[in-house]
Formats: sequence, C-alpha cells, structure tokens
Amino acid sequence: MLLTKQTALLCAGLVLAFVVSWELYWRSQNVVLGYNDDDSRWAATRQLIYQSTPTRPVLIGSSRSKFDIDLETWEQIVGQKPIQLSLNGTSPRPVLTDLGNDPNFRGTLIVDVTEMLFFSPDRSFPEKEALRRVHHYPHWSLSEQASFWISEMLESRLVFLDEMNLSLGAFLKKLPIPNRPGAFGGPVFPREFEVVSPDRQSRMTLAFLADTTLQNEVKQVWVDVGKYVPMKPAVGAELLAILNATKRSVDQIRARGGRVIFLRTPSDGVMRQAEKALFPREKYWNRLLTHTQTTGIYFEDYPELRQFTCPEWSHLAPQDAITFTQNLIPVVRPLTR
Amino acid sequence: MVFNSFTFVIFFAVMLALHNAPLPWKVKKINLLLGSYLFYALWNPPFILLLWLSTVVDFYMARLIADEHRPARRKALLAVSLVLNLGMLSYFKYGGFLLENFTVLLDSLGIAFQAAKPDIILPVGISFYTFVTLSYTLDVYRRKFAPEPSLLNFALFVTYFPHLVAGPIVRPEDLIPQFKTPHRATADQLRWGLLLLSLGLFMKVTIADGLLADTADLIFSLPFPVQPLDAWTGVLAFSGQIFCDFAGYSTCAIGVSLCLGFVLPDNFRYPYAAIGFRDFWRRWHITLSTWLRDYLYIPLGGNRHGAFRTYINLMITMLLGGLWHGASWNFVVWGGLHGLFLCVERLIEQAGLRRAEAGEWAESKPLVSRASVVGLPGNQAVRRFGLALLTLFLVNITWVFFRAPTFDGAMLLMLCMFGAIPDAPVMLTTTAILTVGLVTVGLITCHWLLRDSSLVQLARRLPGWVLSLAWAALLILVILTQKGSGSFIYFQF
Repeated sequence: MLLTKQTALLCAGLVLAFVVSWELYWRSQNVVLGYNDDDSRWAATRQLIYQSTPTRPVLIGSSRSKFDIDLETWEQIVGQKPIQLSLNGTSPRPVLTDLGNDPNFRGTLIVDVTEMLFFSPDRSFPEKEALRRVHHYPHWSLSEQASFWISEMLESRLVFLDEMNLSLGAFLKKLPIPNRPGAFGGPVFPREFEVVSPDRQSRMTLAFLADTTLQNEVKQVWVDVGKYVPMKPAVGAELLAILNATKRSVDQIRARGGRVIFLRTPSDGVMRQAEKALFPREKYWNRLLTHTQTTGIYFEDYPELRQFTCPEWSHLAPQDAITFTQNLIPVVRPLTR
Repeated sequence: MVFNSFTFVIFFAVMLALHNAPLPWKVKKINLLLGSYLFYALWNPPFILLLWLSTVVDFYMARLIADEHRPARRKALLAVSLVLNLGMLSYFKYGGFLLENFTVLLDSLGIAFQAAKPDIILPVGISFYTFVTLSYTLDVYRRKFAPEPSLLNFALFVTYFPHLVAGPIVRPEDLIPQFKTPHRATADQLRWGLLLLSLGLFMKVTIADGLLADTADLIFSLPFPVQPLDAWTGVLAFSGQIFCDFAGYSTCAIGVSLCLGFVLPDNFRYPYAAIGFRDFWRRWHITLSTWLRDYLYIPLGGNRHGAFRTYINLMITMLLGGLWHGASWNFVVWGGLHGLFLCVERLIEQAGLRRAEAGEWAESKPLVSRASVVGLPGNQAVRRFGLALLTLFLVNITWVFFRAPTFDGAMLLMLCMFGAIPDAPVMLTTTAILTVGLVTVGLITCHWLLRDSSLVQLARRLPGWVLSLAWAALLILVILTQKGSGSFIYFQF
C-alpha cells in the first residue's frame, strides 16, 4: 500500500488546521471582508445592463468611478442601484465600444473620464484589461457562472479569500526586493486602500483613512506610475481617431434611444497638476464634448462637486463619496430626462 | 468545466457518490456518460451535437467496416469516417486560417478577393476527441480488434470526462476493456488518485497560473524589444507554464479517473530531463507522439524506405503535429523545428554508429543515450546532464514560436534573447526574475532526479508523515494562490 489512511487523514488535518488558523489570523488583524473583482463578477454585472434606465445608469470608467460614486447612496435617493462596470486602471473606451455594438443596450451610460486613461492610444496598457474582460464576457460559460455563485458564497464568509491582497501572488509582489533601474512591476497598493463589495463598489478602509503613511504610499505609487510609464497624450490623428471612435459608439447608443453623459470626477494635489499640464481641458475634455455633441459634468464647474479632497490625490474617501453622489444626482437628473 | 473550479468539486463529489452507490454496472456507466456530457455541455451546450455525431458515425462506420470484406468498399467506408472527422476538425479549427491564406495567395497573384471574416468558435477538445475516434476506426479497419458491440461502452470511451477535452489521447485498448467489467477504486487507488489530483492542481494553479503566467504573458505581449535577461525570463516562464499547465491537466485527469477506478495512460515523463529530441518526444505529450507515430509516421513508411524518406517522413509528421496544435504558421514553424532537430539528431546518431562500427571510437566509448551517440569528454553523468541542458535550450527556442502571437513577434524576441538589440528597456521586476529562475531550477532538478524513476517509486521511499506534509503543502499552496478558474492552455488546441 502506497498511501495509508493515516497519511491521507494527517494531510486533511494539516490542511484544515491551516485554513482555520489562516482565517483567524487575518480576522485578528482586523482585515475587512471584501470580494474579488474578477472576470466573473464583471461578467455577472455586465448581464444587468439591459435593465438600465435613466434612474439606473450603467457606469463605465476607471477606479475613480468605483470609489467616487456611492451605489447605495444612489439607490437610497433614486430607488435603483447603478450598474457598475468600471475597471481599475483602464480606459472605458473598449467597454463603450462593446455597449455601442450591443444592439440590445438602450440604457443610460455615465462615462467617467480620467484623461490619462481615456485618451490612451488603442491597444495600449490601459486598454488591455478592459479588452480582456469584454472579450471574455460572451464566453462566460455555465460552468464559470456556477463557480462564481459558489465562490460568492465562500467570499461572503471567509476573509482570507482575497486574491488582490492575501494571495501568494500578492505577497510575492510586496516582497521588499529592489528592482533594476528602470524596472517597474506596476502599481502595488497597500491592502487597506481598497475593499470591494459584491456590487463592485470600491471603498477605502478606515485604517487607510486614519494612516497618512498608507496614503503617502499610494501617492508614491502615482508618482512612480508617472515616472516609469510616461504619459504620451494622444494628439493629431491619433486623438481624432479616439474622438471618432467614441462618437461612433455614442451615436450607436443614442440611435437606439439610449443616453450618454461624460463625467469628470475630482482629483487634486500633484495628480491634478500633472493632469492639467498633460491634458489641458480645452484640448481634451471640451473637444470630447463638442466632437461627440454630448453633455458632460466637470466637477470644477459645480461648487457642490468641487469641495472634496482626495486622501491620495485621486479618489474620494467613502464619506465624501456619499456626499459627492448626493450632490451629483441633481446634476445628472435633468440630463437623463 | 475545468478541474480547478468550485463547480468541478461539486460535480466530482456527485460522480464519486453515484459511482460508489449500490447500483448495477450499466447504470453506473450511464451515470458516467451523462456526467461526461454535462461536463462538456457546461462550456457550450450546442457543441455536444458534434460529439454525438462523431460518436454515432464512428460506432456504426466501424461495424460496417468490420463486416465488409471487399477492399474497395472498406476503403470507402473508412474514407467516410475520415472525411467526417477531419472535415469537422478542418472547418472549426482551420476554416479561418485556410481562408486567410487563400486570400493572401490570390492577392499575391494580383487577384483582388475580399472574403467575409468567418465567425467560427472552436469547440473545446475537438482535436482530442477527433484523434480518439479516428484511432478506433483506423484500428478496426486494420483488423487490430473487432468493433465494440456496445454503443454505451463506445460512447463512454469517447466522452469519458477526465480525458475528453485535453487528453491523454486514449486508445480503445486503454479504456474500453475497463468499461466491460465493474470497476471501483480501491481505497489505495482513491487516495493515490486524490494525491495526483492535488499535484495536478498545484502544477496548474500555483506554478503555471500563480507564478509564471503573468511574466510569460507580459513578455510575449510586448510590441517592443527588451533586455536579454527579460526575454529569457519570459521564455523560461512560458516553458515552465506550458509544462505545468498541460502536465497538470493530465495529472488531474489521471488522478480523477483513478478515483473512479479507471487507469489512464501516462502523458508526461519528466520531459525537461530529456537527452535529445527523440527522448523528449518519448516524455512530452506521449499519447500524441505515439498517436502520430502509429497513425502517420509508420503509415507514411517510417524508416523502412531508406534514409532520405525517413527524414521526409519525420518532417511531415512533425509539421502536421505542429499544425494540430493550432491554425497558425507559428505552430508549423514550431513543428518544423522539432522535425529538424529530430533529423539532425538522427544524422549524428547514424554517423556515430557508422564510426563506432568502423572502430574509430573503440577507445573513447561513446556516450550512448536513448537519443544520442555523442563522444564527449568528461564524467558520463555530467555529459548526460549537459546534453539534457542543451536539449532544453533548444526546446526553449521552439517555445518562442509556439507562444509568440506572430512570426515577427517571435523573431523580435529571439533577437532580444541573443542580445542583438542594444539599449532595449528592462521590464521585469527582480521578484519576477527570481521567481521564474527558482521555478525553472526546481523543475529541472525534479525532472532530472525523477527521469528514470516515477512518483510511485518516490512515494514508496518516503515515510508516511513526509508524504502527508508534502501533500498538505501542495494543497495549502493551491488555496493560498487563489487563482480563479483559468482555462488550460491546451483547451484552445
């Protein structure tokens, strides 16, 4: 006999002991329970877009949309929760193209414009993750759907099931091993920075808000991104191609009775200075609105939307996201009628 | 459904319970068959029709072939089966590729032709189950055995879920006899099966997806050159990823099947310790290489018609073997390179044998491995290890063409690997380089130490508590990796 009953039982006991102690350890560290914002969660949300109405918009964009628009607040005021399809660190254009090409989408779309992502060239890094998810969606199999619902059940009970922060890959990424000059492995955020809820809402944790060291870590991430991934704002023909592609998608949605609104959420500090320098409003935001003949909401134009400070220059704290959403709804409402 | 998913955990638990329930053998086989259809249908339900078509046509065609004694009619019946199976494979797998190349050909002749882009979805596992059913019909045609009288046994042989979508490519004699008599795993088989399933999941989830995939994906997706260290790290990452992904799937399949009491053939035998390319193909995707040998290389004439024809047959076999992996010229180049290396190895071997026969090496005693006859100085173990590293180096060169999205991309990466592009940027973090380096060294060490042994022999040598610790470590690392249910690379083939 190769493997005795005792061998198997000892193995099972060790694995069980590890899982229990691992879970208890992270609970003792006050880690907040969150959900994996993976392909399946995005696909499950993507399925909901056909339920979109003027009061239940689809949100596309990057992390600012996920942090800054508080879905529960929206639901409390309007009665329906928006459908959050934004993706961290990505341009919304692949999703916009996807929704434009979907003949059954006739809803309302709020497009978060973070210029350095929105105006990145086709097929560049900020588009890759969005493209991957868009391409995956039609192939989201019944098996993956079943796995997603089981996973959801486990994630709602186990703190350690957090691929972004508590997986082997996440631990390896955070090892303090210096890199060769010029090498950049992508942004690595402290785990307290973001917790994702089942509806894909992102929130900063209380620990993050209370600790300026953690906030400075994220600020440093933005500085590193600027240093290692130099922005080359699209200009000339490249910019025109982006504007034309955006207009095509907007027109497709409008032709079916849908609505599109562009939204610029707050940022400040060094991030805001860099955005202003690289993407002057008149050359990008204003041109986007005129080229696509679309209404836009720029936070600086509204006193009630420009009163916020971002703890790490780019996203709103949860409490500010609630106020921002409360103030945003009256601005959005007339545009969706 | 993939093995590394929660859905599979529940599915497998139900299948195990049903298979061990006090039910008649025929009912258990029907359960397995229905379970296998469910396993397949949870990807894309309509494609199950193709599976049924292939099963029914080959079952009845083989019976007609066996009953027919007129050679011409036998050939015609075989042709019907081949046309159906290879026709389906060609349409779904090569339709777009053929049309694209036809368009390019017409363009080069100055004929403007604009073909509509075909929107063809490749049914998962079609290359695998096509080869499974083909081998059955061909063997009945050759009168190797009588056709299987039971449609249930035959359908289960084709559809049996552990091997259905990515092999091992089973032969009728591997599996059909096992379905004829009641089979249930012994307690030892069940434990060993679970251990193999754990090992396969560890290879796939932790090593392939968790430690290597990101680095390989990054380097192979870059449209610009990188430093040699980054390029080599990317290639080594893919080399480890493709092995752990595919061998991981096979190990899971063998383990799952063993839990049900059925033995599937080995598909990998420590290929990165191969000495020479002939040895490599005896260790890598064994069920494909033996399939190609038995149904392509030998029918082409094998080595029975002189040296020149042997080399031609080798090249044809490897080129088609490359094309089997996917509809792209890169796969043809990959197969061509393997064919070329096999030919060169054979040339060296033949020359060495001739010189040995002439007594030139009487004193130096050439190193004779399975694959090579090479006279090199030094300690024999060191020489063998050196040759294994050389083989692995060349295998890695071929992986560049296998993985790169385009031929130009492959050539760019090759130039980077050999330092032909100065001042290219650095891309990878030190952690990524160290991770790939450690995994590569670990893989080579494991393969080298186990190349003439097996896991069973290793398990026999270890005390029970060490096995428990090792097994638990595998599972804990799988749990820690937390990678979602990513597809296996070979599903796309």
